[in-house]
Amino acid sequence: MDELELLKKHWKSTADSDQKLSAKQLYPMLLKKSSSIVKTLFYISIAELVFWILINFLPLFSSSYLKDLEQIYGNNLALVLLSVLTFSVVILFVYLLYKAYKKISVTDNTKQLMASILRTRKIVKYYVIYNLSMIFLSVPISLYFTSQNDSALHDKIIHFTTSQTIVFYLITFMVTGVCVLIFWLFYKLIYGILLRRLNRNYLELKKLEM
Amino acid sequence: MNKELEHSFIELLEEHQNIVHKVCRLYTNNYDAHNDLFQEITIQLWKAYPKFRGDSKFSTWMYRVGLNTAITLYRKSKRRVKTQEFDAVQFKIKAEDYDNTEEQQLKLLYEAVYQLDDINKALVFLYLEDKNYKEISETLGISEVNARVKMNRVKTKLKTILNP
Repeated sequence: MDELELLKKHWKSTADSDQKLSAKQLYPMLLKKSSSIVKTLFYISIAELVFWILINFLPLFSSSYLKDLEQIYGNNLALVLLSVLTFSVVILFVYLLYKAYKKISVTDNTKQLMASILRTRKIVKYYVIYNLSMIFLSVPISLYFTSQNDSALHDKIIHFTTSQTIVFYLITFMVTGVCVLIFWLFYKLIYGILLRRLNRNYLELKKLEM
Repeated sequence: MNKELEHSFIELLEEHQNIVHKVCRLYTNNYDAHNDLFQEITIQLWKAYPKFRGDSKFSTWMYRVGLNTAITLYRKSKRRVKTQEFDAVQFKIKAEDYDNTEEQQLKLLYEAVYQLDDINKALVFLYLEDKNYKEISETLGISEVNARVKMNRVKTKLKTILNP
């Protein structure tokens, strides 16, 4: 007999031997909370959005910070444009994330379901990349503007030789780069652990189609 | 959600619960993990139930949601044992029957199936449940040809295990 036929025969003969739960036992199960990966991802993405929104907007409520910003960027227009850009990006990501979550359906086929979850995770990834890029760019840029508008710093930098200026900016770039990299690795680690199994299974399904 | 919906869902779940149990049996290796997964599949079924249109059979719909939950949505519970040890009792093979050739073969076969990855396990599961290749391919989202090819590979693998 074919190996799988033998298995099938046994599988069927034991089909009803599992515990049977009564309706009374099943009802309370409907009230329990899901602990699915989608729910975890949802909470993590909300936390990430909130975290970056706070990082972006909380300082704007501090009048001394605003004063500093005005000093750095010189005029208000740049500041307004920056705020509008940040706001628009947040709204765009919230919208994209909402749309992606709505698309996740447990009744899709397995491959489709996995793809939807991974697409959602990708949107969060892009949001994090955007924020990290902004940090990476804004630190040296704001340093440049500060050096132009802050007289105390300007006086110090003005005496730098060309090579000293290069080293100064290089160090700033490198320190920012390392900070951003650490942040990115930490982020990759969290999602790497959370989605390891899903990624593996998705690759396995994709491999089947090759 | 209204009471009527709840009632009809529980009635259907009670009737077809063996499908969920079988998924749990294949994807977990102890009683607590089995119950955890059963709970999660029930929640997912219930959440999706309002959209169940009845254009497919409830049992067919259950296979999809059950497998999707086991393969994709279910996060390992803390109580789940890390080692993927095979528990013959879960598969209703009696230890005293091991000397019997057929039981011995079954034990080896179940062990082999249990060691398969999540996707191959799903393939075998649907096959054991008498699903044709069209249904298997629709449930997993792969082509019918690939489902057949993959299934043949699994069969060969099982044959090799039994006849080394």
